[in-house]
Amino acid sequence: MKITGHDNLKESRLNKWSSLTFRLGIAVSLALIVIGFITLFIISGGKDIQPLVRLDQIPAAIVISIGILILLLTPIIQVMAAIVLFSIARDRLFIGISAAVLCFAAISLALALI
Amino acid sequence: MNEVNLWALGGVGLVAGLLGSMLGVGGGILIVPILTLALHLPIKVAIASSLVAIVANSCTAAGMYTKARVTNIRLGLLLETTTTPGAIIGGFIAAVIAPSILSALFGLVLIYAAYIMITRQHLMYDDTQPDSHIVQNNSTDNLSTSLASSYYDRNLDRVITYKVTRIPVGLGTSFFAGILSSLLGVGGGIVNVPVMHLVMGVPMKVAIATSAFIITITATAGALIYYYYGHIYPFIIAPLTIGVVIGSRIGVELTQRAGGIVLRRIFGALLIIVAAMMFFKIADII
Repeated sequence: MKITGHDNLKESRLNKWSSLTFRLGIAVSLALIVIGFITLFIISGGKDIQPLVRLDQIPAAIVISIGILILLLTPIIQVMAAIVLFSIARDRLFIGISAAVLCFAAISLALALI
Repeated sequence: MNEVNLWALGGVGLVAGLLGSMLGVGGGILIVPILTLALHLPIKVAIASSLVAIVANSCTAAGMYTKARVTNIRLGLLLETTTTPGAIIGGFIAAVIAPSILSALFGLVLIYAAYIMITRQHLMYDDTQPDSHIVQNNSTDNLSTSLASSYYDRNLDRVITYKVTRIPVGLGTSFFAGILSSLLGVGGGIVNVPVMHLVMGVPMKVAIATSAFIITITATAGALIYYYYGHIYPFIIAPLTIGVVIGSRIGVELTQRAGGIVLRRIFGALLIIVAAMMFFKIADII
């Protein structure tokens, strides 16, 4: 099997952007989840809590929920980044494959937000 | 729903992340039974929470593997075309079937995971052996050519080149893995990794890395369906996710220092006990 320099360059770019998207997404989402958790911990005093959100716990719930949303959007953004990179490389086959994955992910996201 | 202890939830995540990464299984196989058996959470809430924690864990792993250029991203995207609809369907099935049936299915999956862990360790995780499974494939079609790749193996100190075979079988099995993932709150790696390695001819290290990549989107699709049905609780997910990510980081460090065959056998036996407890819970014995 022959791997050309051009192929290596494309793969390198694909890996680099995927890694960056995952690491950035996890860093931002985890930071928000940790901030929300610390806020919740202070409000509840470390005692047992009800999973349902009380009025005074709303700020903590909002921060954690945004963190969860960013976490769940991270893999979807990664697929979008792959589509852009495959478009630059004019790789029609994988533009189509990535677009199909994005459509399925968009369906589940649309259902969740209804 | 009962009150929950934040420390206990964080501890569950920590243990699940630690053992999951040391043993090469996703955290879900541990999170769901502990949340239902020890913390008495409804199984659908446990599955939803597990899926979000799995997204965090797999994104962390996928970030590291893609940086190291071990992941076959094209293969991952291709298999996601069937795992993702599988995950959506699995989420809808889980919403309509009885919790007792979900628990029974989970018990069966635990027994399968225990079997693999005790008898076929190399199917799930093998970071110490060189890949002996480089399949010769003369296929020249466009897709097979696109999926062929290579990676640098640090242990062997050389570049391993491989091709991907039996793509339709891989796509079919991935659909099943997607359903299983959403239905039971597991990553699906226990199906994907052996199939990619043994059926599709992908080296083990690439199979593990690509599986982590696939799980990111599969578990996300599943989690979003559970969100739609109102099973996502931020206060359960926060400590669980933090615990899983910290635990898996520690697990990766420990795995590099200690051999794990005995540990995997002990853990396999433990999974059988947990499976039995799931069945006892269904029968209201415990």
